[in-house]
Amino acid sequence: MTAIAETAAKTVLICEDDPNLRTLVRLALGDDGYRFFEAPDGPSGLALARRTQPDLIVLDLMLPGRSGLDVLRELRNARDFADTPVIVISAWSHSDDAAVQAGADRFVAKPFDPDELRDAAIALLEDDSANE
Amino acid sequence: MPTSDRRPRSLSARLVVGSALLALVVAAAFGVLVFAVTTLDDATKRERHTKAVTAETLRLERLVLDLDTGLRGFVLTGKDDLLAPWTSARAALPKSLRDFQQLASTTAGERRRAMTLVASIDQYVNDYAVPVVEIARESPAATRQAFVSQEGAQQLAAVRDHFADFLSTESAVAAARTSTAQRRSDEAIAAAVAGLIASALLIIGFGLYLARSIARPAREVAEGAARLAGGDLTTRLRPQGVGEIEELTHAFNRMAERLEASRRELEEQNEKLRESEHAKSELVSIVAHELRTPLASVLGFTSILLQREVTDEQRREYLAIIEAQARRLGALVNDFLDVQHLEEGKLSIAKELVDIGSVVREQSELFAGQSPKHLLDVSLPPTPLPVRGDSNRLAQVVANLLSNAIKYSPEGGVVRVAGKRTDSVVRVSIQDEGVGIPPELQREIFGKFVRGHATANGIEGSGLGLAISRSLVEAHGGSIDFESTKGRGSTFWFEIPTASPE
Repeated sequence: MTAIAETAAKTVLICEDDPNLRTLVRLALGDDGYRFFEAPDGPSGLALARRTQPDLIVLDLMLPGRSGLDVLRELRNARDFADTPVIVISAWSHSDDAAVQAGADRFVAKPFDPDELRDAAIALLEDDSANE
Repeated sequence: MPTSDRRPRSLSARLVVGSALLALVVAAAFGVLVFAVTTLDDATKRERHTKAVTAETLRLERLVLDLDTGLRGFVLTGKDDLLAPWTSARAALPKSLRDFQQLASTTAGERRRAMTLVASIDQYVNDYAVPVVEIARESPAATRQAFVSQEGAQQLAAVRDHFADFLSTESAVAAARTSTAQRRSDEAIAAAVAGLIASALLIIGFGLYLARSIARPAREVAEGAARLAGGDLTTRLRPQGVGEIEELTHAFNRMAERLEASRRELEEQNEKLRESEHAKSELVSIVAHELRTPLASVLGFTSILLQREVTDEQRREYLAIIEAQARRLGALVNDFLDVQHLEEGKLSIAKELVDIGSVVREQSELFAGQSPKHLLDVSLPPTPLPVRGDSNRLAQVVANLLSNAIKYSPEGGVVRVAGKRTDSVVRVSIQDEGVGIPPELQREIFGKFVRGHATANGIEGSGLGLAISRSLVEAHGGSIDFESTKGRGSTFWFEIPTASPE
């Protein structure tokens, strides 16, 4: 079981400028089930996504360098990330429509309930696996 | 209309001059007309006079003929009763002569001719007729001689010639006078008619002038006022008309300009109000965002602690995060209130005498213990650095700059704090060896919520510190600025006018 779990460990890219919130996302999703990559701004987030091909992306909207919406649009335009599930988290509670329009699968408003974020991640990853 | 004059003559002056001119022309025409009538009247009088003179002359001639008839009848017959015409004519003669002379005395020529006639009558009566009648009474035969009657016939003929002369001259002179009077009267009537026609033309011209210089401009002013009232504030009138009317158009244009300017001002104020309204709602939404980020940590880590199994070490770590983020929330709320008060001008700044030197020293001591990686090098003159202001607010500025210097030099290093005094200002500068400010951010570094890559680098803050500091320094009548090289560090300084010793 352990061996299977390790090989099946899903990768998650967290693109968020606040280090406390990166930690919180990690804790919410559950430290043991995933492998995490973290980026503090837009450009490094895009670069890390291309390098690691994550199974799930958790993306903040207010990012230094490039905005989260920008990053999301660029991801969706690349064939590699056309179907990668993306959860957008933002303190701009009214930007949910813009996020969905740019290609977000879920929008979670800050402050968020860790369980809500975990459930969203699980649901998206299961859908994704079922489609493959 | 002659408007060569730079200052237009007043309309009322023109109207007065025009009316006076018109009155003059009309009066002249009437004067000439009166002259014509008088001349005609004069001519009629003269004619009547001539008739009277002629009638008097004829009566006189008849008297003289009666004298002659009586004289000859008496001389021939010697009968007294035949002398009756003589007697009555002799009695009537002096009065008739007087009347005649009085009547025929209008001109020197007439008087002279009348005198000649009277003289010839006198001569006939006194030198011939009276002596003949006297002699005939004494000796009638003496007077019946041929030479006597011959002498009488000659004398009478002379008198009658004088009569004829007088009458013909009188009528000739009268005729000449009448024709002259007639001519003059004709001329005068022509002149009067011309004058009246001229005054009629003048009246028409005057009317046209009034229409052109008053009625038309007045109508245009009325139309302009209607357009203005309809909301077209760009309405302007072509300056026209004379004097007061032209002034009216100028005054109208000035009024329209003022109206347009005040409407523009109102629109600008409205626009500013809308902008500030927009800025305010934007600020509210930024504030909400800025508060939610630390709130997300506080609530999130609290949930983790409540819902998940964590180690003691993790619990302490998360509680520390929660505490720090809750403090950050508190600091943010204070900063927001400061910004709000500064923007509304509600922040009260005390005007006490403050020694900035001691403020800098105090704050440096507070910050000195914060980070073991940083060395605070404080250099202050031994004498005070006096300014007039609010020591708490000045401390806030120094603390902001010190906190930035430490936060933005994560590798540590020396932070140099210096204070000095020139003639007019007290200057405080704080220099760090930190990350510096990227050139693209330098322009807006004093703006609100400008943080650059600070969050990404784990540097906390509201992004309001410099904006608040600048407002506070400016509220003290000072200025704040910086110099920075990316990767080499920054120097921030502010200057506040030196307080004059009292």
